Amino acid sequence: MKFAFFQGCNIPVRIEQYADSTEAVLQIFGIELVRIPEFNCCGYPMRNVDEKAYILPSVRNMAIAEKAGLDILVICNCCFASLQKAKNVLEKDSALKDEFNTLLAKEGLTYHGTTRIRHYLTVLHEDVGITAIRNKLVNTCKGLKLSVIHGCHILRPREITQFDDSFVPGITEDLVGVTGATSIDWRGRMECCGAALAGLNDELSRRLLQEKITGAREAGADYITPICSYCHLQFDTTQTNMAAEAAPGADLLPVLLYPQLLGLCLGINERRLGIATNRTIKVGDIDHIKSLLAPPVEEKKKKVRQQAA
Amino acid sequence: MNFTLLLTVAVSVCLIGIVLRLYVWFAQGIHPPPATFTLPQRLTAAGKALGGALFGPRLITILKSIFLDLLFQQRVFNKNTLRWLAHGLIFTGFLLLFFLHALDSLITEKLFSGYVSTLNPYLFLRNLFGLMVLAGVAIAVYRRITLRPQRLKTYAGDWAALIFVGGIILSGMLLEGAKISSYSTFQRMVEDYGDVASDQEQQALEAFWVKENGLVIAHRKVEMTTALVEKGREISGRSCIECHAPNTSAFVSYGLARITGPLAAAAGDAGAVNFLWYLHILFCLSFLAWLPFSKMFHIIAAPVSLIVTRIMGKENGEPANVLTRQMIGLSACTHCGACSLECSSNMFFESFQNDFILPSEKVQFLKNLAAGRELDTDTLKRLQQGLYICTSCDRCTDICPSGINLKELFVSSRYALLARGIPETSMLSHFSFPLALAQYRVDDHLKALKILERLFKKSFRVLADMVQPLTLARSGKFSNPSYRSCYSCQRCTNICPVVRSFDNPGEALGLLPHQIIYSLGIGNVDLAMGSQMIWSCSTCYLCQEHCPNQVELCDIFYGLKNAAIAKIEEGDRS
Repeated sequence: MKFAFFQGCNIPVRIEQYADSTEAVLQIFGIELVRIPEFNCCGYPMRNVDEKAYILPSVRNMAIAEKAGLDILVICNCCFASLQKAKNVLEKDSALKDEFNTLLAKEGLTYHGTTRIRHYLTVLHEDVGITAIRNKLVNTCKGLKLSVIHGCHILRPREITQFDDSFVPGITEDLVGVTGATSIDWRGRMECCGAALAGLNDELSRRLLQEKITGAREAGADYITPICSYCHLQFDTTQTNMAAEAAPGADLLPVLLYPQLLGLCLGINERRLGIATNRTIKVGDIDHIKSLLAPPVEEKKKKVRQQAA
Repeated sequence: MNFTLLLTVAVSVCLIGIVLRLYVWFAQGIHPPPATFTLPQRLTAAGKALGGALFGPRLITILKSIFLDLLFQQRVFNKNTLRWLAHGLIFTGFLLLFFLHALDSLITEKLFSGYVSTLNPYLFLRNLFGLMVLAGVAIAVYRRITLRPQRLKTYAGDWAALIFVGGIILSGMLLEGAKISSYSTFQRMVEDYGDVASDQEQQALEAFWVKENGLVIAHRKVEMTTALVEKGREISGRSCIECHAPNTSAFVSYGLARITGPLAAAAGDAGAVNFLWYLHILFCLSFLAWLPFSKMFHIIAAPVSLIVTRIMGKENGEPANVLTRQMIGLSACTHCGACSLECSSNMFFESFQNDFILPSEKVQFLKNLAAGRELDTDTLKRLQQGLYICTSCDRCTDICPSGINLKELFVSSRYALLARGIPETSMLSHFSFPLALAQYRVDDHLKALKILERLFKKSFRVLADMVQPLTLARSGKFSNPSYRSCYSCQRCTNICPVVRSFDNPGEALGLLPHQIIYSLGIGNVDLAMGSQMIWSCSTCYLCQEHCPNQVELCDIFYGLKNAAIAKIEEGDRS
């Protein structure tokens, strides 16, 4: 399987470890990610200002993938939503489609709408499948308590994103479950990290972020696992900035990305997964995660023994 | 006119130009205000940095940079082989011609004792190097034309540089070709160097040079028997070959001579040689004089910029050196457009038709800002918007073949402009997110936001300020009709995480989510556009997802934000 790898703007320069770990994990399942330098911004940053200017870049990106004959694989929620939104809008508005196509024709591109937009979690869940993942596990990570935060733009509006049940999401439950870790139920799991307000209203943005950090801690989370790159930056960078301003040296809620966890369970080197690159994670945290890693075989044996008894 | 005089003028203009541009490196800048540091302070700081680099472990880095960045052009090689080839051909060919041909009396003669310009390998190599440059120029022209749809902008100055470089080489080749075919040149050389005993020998020599060396004799008929040519070959071998290789080794000029020879002979071959000599000299000398005032100054600035970047990366050094580095960067730009081709925001250029969204156009124009030139409000606004519409992906900085720290230049310029107090509506986009994350110039950012806020307050009336009761007079239609399905259950407001964040949300947000939908219901779009709520919306879509009647609240808020910005921009224009 081969996908055009859409990284967006944040990941290559600020969260390289997310792309690297995703690539490493998918490689194990024979999925190749093609990096396409012609891709530009998904358009999301312009959404507050002008809807047409927001949609056009995604249309170009999809036209580029079409030309390469590939479906697009996305990590970032906001990129994912922008691409899906653009696809949805053009399905309904053929006049706008023609207008954009006239513009794209200048660079030899045409948008037909044949490229599918896939989130990497969907590819893991649907195309690879939980059983195939389980079969490749070298370790499980029992006893690790994760607070997953989905981020908004992957779940909602459900008609556009079509990712998962937007009220009771199950994909992340299954995917965390297979690693042996626990995805805890916590206040804020489905809510906003505040990223969309950063730079516009920092005070409110940080208030929303702090609410999630507190919520996850109170529920007993060891780590936070953001799905969206914007959420990641809020928890990893803004949390660090906030702590530095409030009380230097304060304890942070460390970020562990899902492909980093899965990668460890698949036996991928932690360096390749870039775990130490997460700003909020400390050496002690990594040691803690590694101490929880244990071969999954024991579990099966136990089950057999129980059955025998 | 006398050659020495022309040369002196050109060299003087070139030197004065270089001094002026070097002075500008230390006299101007974007931010901090250039007045913060005096010229001696900046010179001292630069000198210290230079000293530190030359006499320390960084010398290795500099040497590495000279080989990898300057000679090999690694940054271009990594990104685009065709462009690397074009630059490599021009760079190598031109430099070799400059040192071995233009400065032959200073360099080549000293290096190679038997140097004669008409001997091989010199005759052949001149043509080879010239052809290399022409091939490079051809690729560059091809690139500039074919990449136009990909938003590669080309100025008159870019064409001028290509015309100068190509013109120098072509005129040189035409000159050589004219000399090859010229009978008077032939005559002069026979008189100066030839060993011709009789008229018959002269005729034989002429026949041989006409037959095999491209000489054109038009004023009389030349007898061309095999015997005569063979005799001419023998005389040539005796009296010419020692200092003159066969003209066919000048393979380009010889080919040109075949075409231009008859024409030159008809027009007067001595005159043609003379004319082409002037043309060649004029091309060379005017290029020399033009160099420091054009993008060709990159010959000096780009190596400095590349070495500085190799040492410093994207970090800023001494405050006094920040301005100097900005100026070196600005003068190192070759307007190659590589940054704009890869710019992640390039599609926004298509939507807004503002050249300044493209990094190459910004960096070209910022010289004016650095020089403190007066700019009209419209230009300032466009520049400010162009500087703001940027995803902070750093692709331009990473790709720049001249190693310009574009990121720093753009951040500095962005806040230097915002400080002038012109409101910038793009600040309300998510381009603000990476800025907040990096915590650049937090206070300046907040100040600029306040200016925008004041503009909003002036443009929209808010509910709390209204004395008259609200009427049902429709102030405008709204494009998303889903608001009509609202049956006022207020679930949106109850689930909103932003509303929940305030003790007194009504006061803080102006209108609550359900009230915005009510405003649209009574046809008062303006009231909805003016509420703080839409700008405090975290776009989490919880309201929309939970609405039992499919009112697309979050999408409506996006629409209101777009409309509010459009209204403000329009009001600003009228």
